[in-house]
Amino acid sequence: MFKFTTSIKKELIILFSDKLGLTVMFVMPMLLVFIITIIQDSAYKIVNESKLSMLVSNQDEGGQGEVLFELMDASGFFILSQDDGLNSEALERALIDDNQLAALYIPADFSSALISKANQTSETMMSELGVMEASKKRPISVPELELYIDPVLQENFSESISRMLSSYLNVIENKLMIRSVYKLMEQDLDEEAMIDQMLANQVEIVKRTASTSDKAIIPNSTQHNVPAWTLFAMFFMVVSLGSNVVKERINGSFMRLKTMPSSFVMVLVGKMLVYVVVAMLQIAVIFGISMLIFPSLDLPVLVLPDNVSAFVLMSLLSSLAAVSFSLMIGTISQTMEQCIGIGAVSVIIFGAIGGIWVPTFVMPGYMQTLTAISPLHWCLEGFYILFLKGGSWKELFPIIVYIVAFVLVCQAITLSRLRIEKLL
Amino acid sequence: MSEISHVDILDMHKRYPGAMEDSLSQINMKIPAGRKFGLLGPNGAGKTSLISIMCGFLEPSSGSVTYYTKDKRELEGRALKNVIGFVPQEYALYGELSPRQNLEYFGALYNMRKGEINKRSEELLVILGLSEVADKPCGSFSGGMKRRVNLAIGIIHSPKILFLDEPTVGVDVQSKHAIIRFLNQLNIEGTTIIYTSHHMNEAQEFCDELALIDHGKVMAKGMTTDLLAQHGTDDLHTLFINLTGEEYRN
Repeated sequence: MFKFTTSIKKELIILFSDKLGLTVMFVMPMLLVFIITIIQDSAYKIVNESKLSMLVSNQDEGGQGEVLFELMDASGFFILSQDDGLNSEALERALIDDNQLAALYIPADFSSALISKANQTSETMMSELGVMEASKKRPISVPELELYIDPVLQENFSESISRMLSSYLNVIENKLMIRSVYKLMEQDLDEEAMIDQMLANQVEIVKRTASTSDKAIIPNSTQHNVPAWTLFAMFFMVVSLGSNVVKERINGSFMRLKTMPSSFVMVLVGKMLVYVVVAMLQIAVIFGISMLIFPSLDLPVLVLPDNVSAFVLMSLLSSLAAVSFSLMIGTISQTMEQCIGIGAVSVIIFGAIGGIWVPTFVMPGYMQTLTAISPLHWCLEGFYILFLKGGSWKELFPIIVYIVAFVLVCQAITLSRLRIEKLL
Repeated sequence: MSEISHVDILDMHKRYPGAMEDSLSQINMKIPAGRKFGLLGPNGAGKTSLISIMCGFLEPSSGSVTYYTKDKRELEGRALKNVIGFVPQEYALYGELSPRQNLEYFGALYNMRKGEINKRSEELLVILGLSEVADKPCGSFSGGMKRRVNLAIGIIHSPKILFLDEPTVGVDVQSKHAIIRFLNQLNIEGTTIIYTSHHMNEAQEFCDELALIDHGKVMAKGMTTDLLAQHGTDDLHTLFINLTGEEYRN
């Protein structure tokens, strides 16, 4: 026991003697968490909360162009400005010159074409029902709107605008068609009541976030960035812990140990214990500070998961994975340069393919397959399940199995290497 | 702790993977306990390889090193490690730790008790002139002080055989003097000393038996005074040059 406590004491002295390194271990991830969360949160707000500026030129000679304009205005998604003096070419130029993201040209025949379409559709419907004789078939006139999009606008954004306009046009067309049907039936009925009823009885879509917990937590930049960058920092321990092992090799301590009646495993366990505690402290400090400071920076609040025991286990396993990986790199590296190079680059690659920078679902298919090799991906998945999905043990089980397997592989490689070097 | 009788090296060869030539070839040696045995040779002669094999952290390609006890048993494994002390050429110590903390750590790895370590550490710190800096981190020490700490670590467990690889390289005259004086004292107390050095004067003065190695082979071996007499010189430096030549070594 004395041997073990002395070994731990030695690791602690070495760790605390490098005050700058120790500070970096905690300050670097804190800065990353804060900076990336603030950046991503503002991007998130732009996408989700900001309104889209749109210039409209309404040349419609009927009233439906104005109805469309009112519907768009009422939606709250647009900041609309209107300049009916612009033809379609001038509107396109104005879009570029006036810093607008989109522009809509409503042609002069917009209302008449819509009414014509509604009349034709209702006549066809009435004749099919046998209420009136079939009239001569004419080609249906389809109204045309011209939507101009700023090239910087993402494809999914412009698609959303098109869909929104289509849905408003449906509302207008439905109203016109009902009026046309009532007119053809020549009955003195309350068509407006029918229109109101049709619009009111639309199927409602209730948006819910999938979770096994009662708490509905909406994914946000905080829930992603705090665990993601904490994990990245934990795995970046490869630079300090790996170098620590290489330094012992270079300075002859390994050689001295080979002549001693003690196994290096004991030294290794001492190192692991100290650095697992450091990694757990990184989680505690970064999560704690994020919880305390994020609200005052107008960032989303970090809400800890309900399943506390699973949270502690995930933190412990992630720490163990980071420490085991660092020891493995330190053991197989012959020089400091190898250790820092291989260690840092591999953690950055693992971070990239593991979804630390961008979520894995936006990656191409083959990259999504590659994420499976990244321990950071599995650790992050575990935290996602805890933070966003309620953290059920059933869902966590495959993640736990993978991380345990990763730890065992790293340990096996480390021990094999030590055996080859006659340190066991 | 077992009493060592002698170390036997039989027909030892060592060739590193990928090497075209043997680093050690046909080494046969018997080193009786209680000697101050010097392994001398130019750079790349094979001294460190030989000492590494003798300490057990390098495997010979063929041949053997056997440690015999006075009751004619072979000593190996942990029992052997308990009686061996090793002082490498590098400062194999932790710069962040003080001499006292280094001694405590390595003493613990030699399975010593805390009380034993404290007592032995105090002795060594006084003898090697490290008492005043006993609680300061070794990283800031001069080369000579680090060498003395390096030596203290190697003998914290009072080994019966002490291997020293260039123990006085790069140190000031005072530190060198203190180290040699202390090694002589250890030898008088019964410790067998096997050391390598480039300093011919120091080796001639210190060693009672020598082996001159070059190109992995033993060029000459015997008691220091006998070797000098056999080659008609009273100076180890001249003997060394006569046997190994004057060309540069890498």
